Amino acid sequence: MLRRIASRGTPAQREAALATLATDQTLRLARATHQLLDLGARRPPLTLPERAKQRTIYDAGHQETLPGRTVRAEGSRAGKDVEVNEAYDGLGATFDFFAVVYDRNSIDDEGMHLDATVHYGRRYDNAFWNGRQMVFGDGDGDLFNRFTISLDVIGHELTHGVTGDEAKLVYLGQAGALNESISDVFGSLVKQHAQKQTVGQADWLIGAGLFTSRVNGVALRSMKAPGSAFDDPVLGRDEQPATMAGYVHTTMDNGGVHTNSGIPNHAFYVAAMAFGGYAWEKAGRIWYETLRDRRLRQTSTFRQFAVLTAQNAAQLFGASGRKTVAAAWKEVGIEVGR
Amino acid sequence: MHIDFRIDGGLAVFPGLAKPVSIDCAALPAKDAARLGELVRKADFFGVPQPPAAAPMPDARAYTIAIDDGLQCRTLTFAEPIAEASMRELVAELRLRAGTIRRGGGTR
Ligand SMILES: [Zn+2]
Repeated sequence: MLRRIASRGTPAQREAALATLATDQTLRLARATHQLLDLGARRPPLTLPERAKQRTIYDAGHQETLPGRTVRAEGSRAGKDVEVNEAYDGLGATFDFFAVVYDRNSIDDEGMHLDATVHYGRRYDNAFWNGRQMVFGDGDGDLFNRFTISLDVIGHELTHGVTGDEAKLVYLGQAGALNESISDVFGSLVKQHAQKQTVGQADWLIGAGLFTSRVNGVALRSMKAPGSAFDDPVLGRDEQPATMAGYVHTTMDNGGVHTNSGIPNHAFYVAAMAFGGYAWEKAGRIWYETLRDRRLRQTSTFRQFAVLTAQNAAQLFGASGRKTVAAAWKEVGIEVGR
Repeated sequence: MHIDFRIDGGLAVFPGLAKPVSIDCAALPAKDAARLGELVRKADFFGVPQPPAAAPMPDARAYTIAIDDGLQCRTLTFAEPIAEASMRELVAELRLRAGTIRRGGGTR
């Protein structure tokens, strides 16, 4: 289209089209060059055009076909459907968090559109990220409420997209548990940021409000006290460990990714509490830079990740920052060395 | 017909929900047994190829179904989202039925 205008339009049109094409190509070239050179920094230092969210919410109509029917697009007003509105607002809060706090332009830092499907499946009691979009069930109504109810769960799912774009941690074993933990960390920070909570005011829970009143439990997970979130006759007991001494070896759940994530979750909590103030400013910043750190491998272990957080802490906040982070990892049984 | 059903993974681990559930169709009301039999037949459970292994999607579940119909038995594992509509139907039915069984029949 632009190329056609550039060759056939009026002189003024031509000039504008050519300018746009030139910018586009500069960006593309810069990206390609950057990828070729594989420089230390993850992104070229470019000023991208204005940063705007592009949300679309779909309704699966209780089928399991994605994405479903479009029910709310960016800028359109709230309707009567609670799930649709919660998903729309949650995507917005997550986008704003990453944009305002870490200067990140959406999931891929290049303005990726945010898509979510609600009313997925019949009494479907789960939410997941399919590599392109978020998917939310309504819950079974007996144990689980709708899965859009917790902002930290929405933040959790979108952060899987961020991790998939940055560190690409494999979803297995310790790397998988790190992948899970990073989603919990930033999911919780999205909520804390939206509610302007300090580390002392935050509940450090993932999925508060998701259980119906029939369940004996407060949330899916607790970063403050892993293993304490629920103890119910039907659901069973929360088995998350807080330290390496409790690391669970299992073939289920891709090697216990949602269980062993309790260990790095708790390390983050301890570090954030020690720094004080707003968790996204210091502990969150260190974790975010580590997620983008080129040295972080897709198959990283807890210890390899921990060492990088200590190094990033030193770079960002000096020796005392490093000391705080090292002490947090030590508390969960991981030594980062000197 | 006897069916074993297991759910693995999801946004959180619930030890109670990860336990396999057994369904003995002979013990079900005739209408329910007929419906399950129809879903198994429509999904072509004994004929479909083994689903290909794929990289797991974050927080998505995998469903393992083992069916013994007296003549043959087979075990298949499906990671969601499941491509085939008829297989999705079977899994959804088993998922809801497993929920009912865990709650001790109906209410808790
Ligand atoms: Zn997750």
